[in-house]
Amino acid sequence: MSGNALLAYGFILPSLLVFAVFMFYPLLYTVYLSFFEWNMIKPVKAFVGWGNYIALLQDPLTYVVLKNTFAYIVILLLLNCAAPYILAFILSFVIRRGRDFYKSAFFLPSVISLVVGSILYLWILNPISGPVAIIAKFFGITIPVWSKTQGLVIGVLSIITTWKVFGYNFIVLFGGITGVPQEVIEAAKIDNVPLHRIFLDIVLPMSSATGVYIFIMTIVQGLQYVFTPIKVVTQGGPDNASSNAIYNVYQEGFTLYHTGYASAFAIVTMVLFVVLLLAEFKYVEKGIYYEN
Amino acid sequence: MRIDREAQWHILLGGALLLSLLPIAFAIANSFKELSEAYNNVFSLIPEHPTIGNYLLVFSRLPLGQITANTFMVALAATVFKTVTSALAAYAFVYFDFRGKNVLYFILISTIFIPFTVTMIPNYLTISQLGFRNNIIGVILPQLSDATGIFLIRQAMRTIPRSLIEAARIEQAGHLKILASIVLPLIRPAVVSTGIMFFINSWNEYVWPVLILKDKVNYTLPLALQLFISSEGGTDFTIAMAVSVITMIIPLVLYLIFQRYIISTFTSSGVKG
Amino acid sequence: MKNVFLKLVSVGVLSTLLLAGCGQQSSPANPAGGQKTKIEYWHVNAETLGGKTIEELVKQFNAQNSDVEVVARYNPDMYKGLMQNLQAEVATGKSPAVVQIGWAFLDYFSNNFTYVEPQKLVDSFDQGDKTFLQDKFLPNVLGLAKNSKGSQVGIPYSLSTPVLYINRDLLRQAGLAENGPKTWEELVVFANTVKEKTGKYGLYIQEPADYWAQQALLESNGARMMTNGKASFASEEGIKAFEAYADMVLKTKSALHISWGEGVQSFVDGNVAMLYTTIAQRANVQKGAKFDVAAISSPAWQGKQPRLPAGGCFLAVTAKSEAEQKAAWKFVKFLYSIESMAAWTKGTGYVPPRKDVADAENGLKSFLAENKMMAAATSQMAGVVPWTSFPGDAGLQAEQMLLDSRDRILSGGISAREGLVQTQTKINELLK
Repeated sequence: MSGNALLAYGFILPSLLVFAVFMFYPLLYTVYLSFFEWNMIKPVKAFVGWGNYIALLQDPLTYVVLKNTFAYIVILLLLNCAAPYILAFILSFVIRRGRDFYKSAFFLPSVISLVVGSILYLWILNPISGPVAIIAKFFGITIPVWSKTQGLVIGVLSIITTWKVFGYNFIVLFGGITGVPQEVIEAAKIDNVPLHRIFLDIVLPMSSATGVYIFIMTIVQGLQYVFTPIKVVTQGGPDNASSNAIYNVYQEGFTLYHTGYASAFAIVTMVLFVVLLLAEFKYVEKGIYYEN
Repeated sequence: MRIDREAQWHILLGGALLLSLLPIAFAIANSFKELSEAYNNVFSLIPEHPTIGNYLLVFSRLPLGQITANTFMVALAATVFKTVTSALAAYAFVYFDFRGKNVLYFILISTIFIPFTVTMIPNYLTISQLGFRNNIIGVILPQLSDATGIFLIRQAMRTIPRSLIEAARIEQAGHLKILASIVLPLIRPAVVSTGIMFFINSWNEYVWPVLILKDKVNYTLPLALQLFISSEGGTDFTIAMAVSVITMIIPLVLYLIFQRYIISTFTSSGVKG
Repeated sequence: MKNVFLKLVSVGVLSTLLLAGCGQQSSPANPAGGQKTKIEYWHVNAETLGGKTIEELVKQFNAQNSDVEVVARYNPDMYKGLMQNLQAEVATGKSPAVVQIGWAFLDYFSNNFTYVEPQKLVDSFDQGDKTFLQDKFLPNVLGLAKNSKGSQVGIPYSLSTPVLYINRDLLRQAGLAENGPKTWEELVVFANTVKEKTGKYGLYIQEPADYWAQQALLESNGARMMTNGKASFASEEGIKAFEAYADMVLKTKSALHISWGEGVQSFVDGNVAMLYTTIAQRANVQKGAKFDVAAISSPAWQGKQPRLPAGGCFLAVTAKSEAEQKAAWKFVKFLYSIESMAAWTKGTGYVPPRKDVADAENGLKSFLAENKMMAAATSQMAGVVPWTSFPGDAGLQAEQMLLDSRDRILSGGISAREGLVQTQTKINELLK
């Protein structure tokens, strides 16, 4: 079908206009800024060439932040991609009662603001006097001071983020799994195929389009969502142990006013993301199960 | 045997559910406590001396009606605009052939990967030059450049057999008409669930409005929460909880009313290949 | 299905209209007539920390002055947040008239923004009261707002100092003097005893994203954060003081290393015996604590004088046109009247920076008599010193390095000595 090209552009134009002004222009401007030393207000921007990029590569903090970013990605994938996937599978094919109730209830927190969630969890998880600590004390367990503990802090901030993101991911995955015909599963059950094999060999491949979408969203949006608890709870501390690539750009740009350096860091982050996307695209085009 | 197993699952699921719902109960309970009770008995879900003082204080300090209306207008405008433009663009990407189609699609979709910190500074300058600072239009505009809608709706459109569209074309139907009367009804779950996601995200948007809005009468709800959280003077926890409840009450109530519809929409949309 | 969707949309539209209608009534009517100079006042005071007082003061001022209209704008995230907004505002070529600048940003602000020195404002717009600054402010207090080049950038406004809040019930339970420790050496003993006798924590020193309380700890032992523009906190005195602090956290586990919000919460609900934090937390502590709580002045180290960095902010005038500057000065002077100052202290817990407020009948006389906790702060004003802000554009980064090293030392990653020495070297390289 060869449509009218002009008409096609007309359909895309509204989106394109908004994107041009609020996405592509700012992006180019940020690329431009990344070659300067500037603090947003000085009348003169000092051109430093690749200076910011070189400084960035030489700064040990960059590698700490990238390592943290990677740790966030792994934890978020477990909590917000793998876990809701399994939950959706259990609700669809394993249990028989209460399906609708669970679906509604698990989605509920995802309508609430993450700022609210962060404040709430800061109190609930207070290791000295929060409810969780009181219960743990009852069993003779002392909760470590997670907000000041390397490693652990990333885990807890991820959990706070999960509270918000889980429901949406779960419900979308549930929708994806619904596409798998019930008869196939029933047949496998009659053949006594163990549940984990049904999940891995039948459900996962047959719902992979949805799976890949959630996989990508978990990484990309997850890292941006984590920004809120980082800002509210730890400000990147202790000793940058909870900072990720996105928070670090904010910290450099809006706390230390290294506008040029922050821009360079933002560009590097974006390039890493896009490389990830390219890899994903290759995979998507090859290994995905399409319903049609 | 089977029942035992099912019961085990229910215990597991119930536990997970409790974890995700308790914080909400906790917020509601503490918003009705006095500060000293919240500090000393943060655990209890039923306040010993229930008080609506926190709410009265918040209502006396903030034009909450206006703030809620602002939030609504921002969320509604962003949702409607984004859903419409996404559907239009997605339609073009699925049913038209034109030069640079794949490249353009790829470029648009790649923007999903751009962290918001990249565009923050230039966007602030743009909004200022347009004169939309301290104005909810300034909050809405940058939100509109979001490609997730194009992606989701395009994926849904691809599941519609092309023969249907071709048949309509032969009958001389215009593209807008095909989009409105054939395509959209077929993929309504995907469109509506995308819209719901837009609405929720926009309702809770926080970093950007903090930068743009100045006067209380222009605030959105997440900003109202900021007003009661101060690091230096300490956060008055019970008041913060009252504002939290006010912030979440509308999405929560809307969700509870329409939950069946929302859930069935989401589960029948999925993301198709 | 269609029905439900329609319902959803109509509920949304209806409630939007409804709420918009309600809101319209509450938005203020535009005052008509006259050539009014409209100026903006930027502050950081959340509703829980004087936001209400600001609103009342501005209202009062606007009612008294027909030629000036002040609009107050709240900036979230304290002085850092205000700085971010100011940065963005100035980048677009505009500027508010009066801004609150946190002490830590003194140097950065004066290097990068245009401001009018207060004496110049007096000379241009207030000929009749030429010695206002000298008459109404103590020199050491006024000096807080002088930058490293000696320019008077603004006038101190919100003043806070660190005090020690004590849980007397817990101290008594541990067999300790209920009036608390007098020196840091005693404080260490107190903290350890509380831990041994009651199992609860002895001390929490505030750890927000600044080094304020730690500066008080180090400088009260004779160390100096900076000497002649170079970092010098890693002196023997500084190291000794930080070692004592780190030992409480790491060896005897009697002090907590935790985020600020969590630490204050743990003191208020009775899990920590002593809390070293700003006087601005007084209202929160008083309202929340169910035990016998008191505040005492900052301890010094044995045989030394306490040196307490001033917290809070000063007011700087950033107005551009002459008309705006004139209006700004009128407003600033109003804020420094005895009545306004008293209202400010009552609403926030900050210590008044100008003279004559504490004893005046129309000032704070009766208030201070009733609020004993405030006395802990008002009585230690002699020991107030500037909050160190490292010079130049790298100053903010230097502060960040201090924060990182604090975390590293208190988590046991590095010894206090090594941590301080390393950080000092790094900062001095940065400042070159």
